[in-house]
Amino acid sequence: MISAIGNNVPESFLSLSQSKTGIGKINHLTTRFKDEFLTGEVRLSNQDLADLVKDNNPDLNRNSFLAMLAAKEAVLNSGIDTSDGLRTGVISSTTVAGMSQTELYYKEMFVKEDHLNVLDAHDCGDSTERIADYLGNVDYVTTISTACSSAANAVMLGCRMIKHGLLDRAVVGGVDALSKFTFNGFNTLMILDKEWCKPFDENRKGLNLGEGAAFLVIEGENALNKRLGKPLAEVVGYANANDAYHQTASSPEGYGATLAIQQALAMSGLTPSQIDYINMHGTGTPNNDLSESMATLAVFGNQVPKFSSTKAFTGHTLAASASIEAVISVLSLQNSMIFPNLNFTTPIANLNLVPVTKLINSPINTVLSNSFGFGGNCSSLIFKKA
Amino acid sequence: MTKAYIIGTSCISPQNSIDSEWFFDTITPSNGDCFNAIEPSYKEHIAPNLLRRMGRAIKMGVTTANLAIIEAQVKKVDAIITGTGLGCFEDSERFLLALLDNDEQFLTPTAFIQSTHNTVGSQIALIMKCHDYNYTYVHRGFSFESAIQDALMLFEEGKETILIGGIEEHTPNYITLNRRAHKLQEHDFALPIWESKTSGIQLSEGAAFFVLNKEKTENSLASVDGIQTLYKPKTAADVLTKMHAFLKLHDLTLADIDVTLMGFSGDKNFDLKLNEMLPIIQKESIAACYKHVSGEYHTASAFAMWTATKLIEKQKLPKVLSISEKTPYVIKHLLIVNQYLDINYSFTLLSQC
Repeated sequence: MISAIGNNVPESFLSLSQSKTGIGKINHLTTRFKDEFLTGEVRLSNQDLADLVKDNNPDLNRNSFLAMLAAKEAVLNSGIDTSDGLRTGVISSTTVAGMSQTELYYKEMFVKEDHLNVLDAHDCGDSTERIADYLGNVDYVTTISTACSSAANAVMLGCRMIKHGLLDRAVVGGVDALSKFTFNGFNTLMILDKEWCKPFDENRKGLNLGEGAAFLVIEGENALNKRLGKPLAEVVGYANANDAYHQTASSPEGYGATLAIQQALAMSGLTPSQIDYINMHGTGTPNNDLSESMATLAVFGNQVPKFSSTKAFTGHTLAASASIEAVISVLSLQNSMIFPNLNFTTPIANLNLVPVTKLINSPINTVLSNSFGFGGNCSSLIFKKA
Repeated sequence: MTKAYIIGTSCISPQNSIDSEWFFDTITPSNGDCFNAIEPSYKEHIAPNLLRRMGRAIKMGVTTANLAIIEAQVKKVDAIITGTGLGCFEDSERFLLALLDNDEQFLTPTAFIQSTHNTVGSQIALIMKCHDYNYTYVHRGFSFESAIQDALMLFEEGKETILIGGIEEHTPNYITLNRRAHKLQEHDFALPIWESKTSGIQLSEGAAFFVLNKEKTENSLASVDGIQTLYKPKTAADVLTKMHAFLKLHDLTLADIDVTLMGFSGDKNFDLKLNEMLPIIQKESIAACYKHVSGEYHTASAFAMWTATKLIEKQKLPKVLSISEKTPYVIKHLLIVNQYLDINYSFTLLSQC
């Protein structure tokens, strides 16, 4: 995992356990709003990233670099060997794809020849194929783009393909580099907070954009047992549903979110009271947090589990957010910790929902992680301690 | 994996495929290096308040989805799965140019909202009030293939009726950039597409949707028996080996395949492996191609599946598609062998039902 809170999992864990946000002033993104907004940028420059990937290929863009680094870390940590003859898939997701590079050279491409290759990396499939080639011996590749729930859907697809016997294991996750395109898109929607975002706070004003990538290696039992591997966690439930309410806004009652959570719970066989912690989507926008709160109340009633949004650490990393939060969920399970919802002071009026605001050390056996996106796309994942 | 039945389909392409009577009788030529989709009057298919804001990809997608559902005579679907390599490029470009031209000022969000890759799938969900599973695949020449694969899995997981589609649009600027990058043919093909001696594709666009059903119904047009993708095969022999294995998985051999619909793109380099495979395929099956009428795009395989469905339904291989110059007695099994940029290969098996 790579994001504003660290270039790898140990660094990210350190930031999380020290309640240290990665959101700050804009350093790398070229925008006229540089001094006006805060974002969760990966601290490394493109050249730093190229050095880490050990590849100065001019066709590589920030999206590919982030994806390759995070996927490689996941594979190294997992101990799998992609050349052992088992079927490995790479299922990635992105929304911005090569746009961070396209927007720099788009005009120039019509008059000069120098940067026409930027076109080749513009589409969403590019970073996924870069990951596959970087890892080597990959049998299956695909890419999902369902806005901010993308990576959750990648996790889901990986699990399903293994269950159906189509793959033995899958490297699943998502990536989104910051771009002027997405930054301005969210700014015109007027859902960016100029201060640190305050998920689930009565006075929340919007989100902080972030960037990053995170991948998980999901393995079927047979493949895992064959190499005597040890799982970090088990995916016991997942579901995707659609709010079908509005292209960008969530329904006030959180209908799609409620469906996703209920269906994931049903699949896991767990009762609502058996969920120890919810890693919320919690972007910090008035609309999302209200809608998600209503869905949470609809499913859990007056016994809402401990919950927090970790987006005040990383910013909203869009397509990567669900996999970054999946890694954070696994860290919670492994370390018996709930990472706090930073910047919270006042509960939303009449809801009485108070997130975890200080690091909690207590055994966690199950985590529900929510991700919702434009187009009403709602996904929930449930992880269980292995 | 269980098969699925196609019970409704609709296609917008550079040909008059949107007309349900059209069956490769009149062929509209390319513009030399590209094709434009022949679009219907959308007013008949989409409410005016929605139509105003929609880019072409969304219009093409929503319309073909709607027509496929009408043909299938279903009221609801249990999942909506779309594939698109580029997504809503027109809206992406509009927002990008606006921000570049105005130095990030005076922007409105509409184009940004519509630029999201899953816009087509979510618009269909909104119109149909479908709260079920909704995925969008965006992987080059695997975008539509991933949608088929997903649908076949969902049937095993208990879904009954699923809408799948592939959508692609281009813009004048996108064509210009591809031309400048020497990715396109310079002139229309002088030779049949599979014999092309020049590099470059004919860039194209279109949308095709299918309503798939778990059970065979009276109006089933064909069955989708299986799909497999193949990433960066090294040699034609690799592709052939995988193809034979794929057929074997379905208890078939190449001799059982009445028509093999091949994804020759007209780019001599991308087509090398298919060229090497062609004589082997022709020995036991009848070879055909389609990209000389559809052009090349990320989801051209959705046009191929629409074509395959029609061929099976009509039990006829139009001369314009045939490579082998042989006429099949029956079209019981049809195999689509697609390639995209010599990177993304796929096999899709369809059968008469």
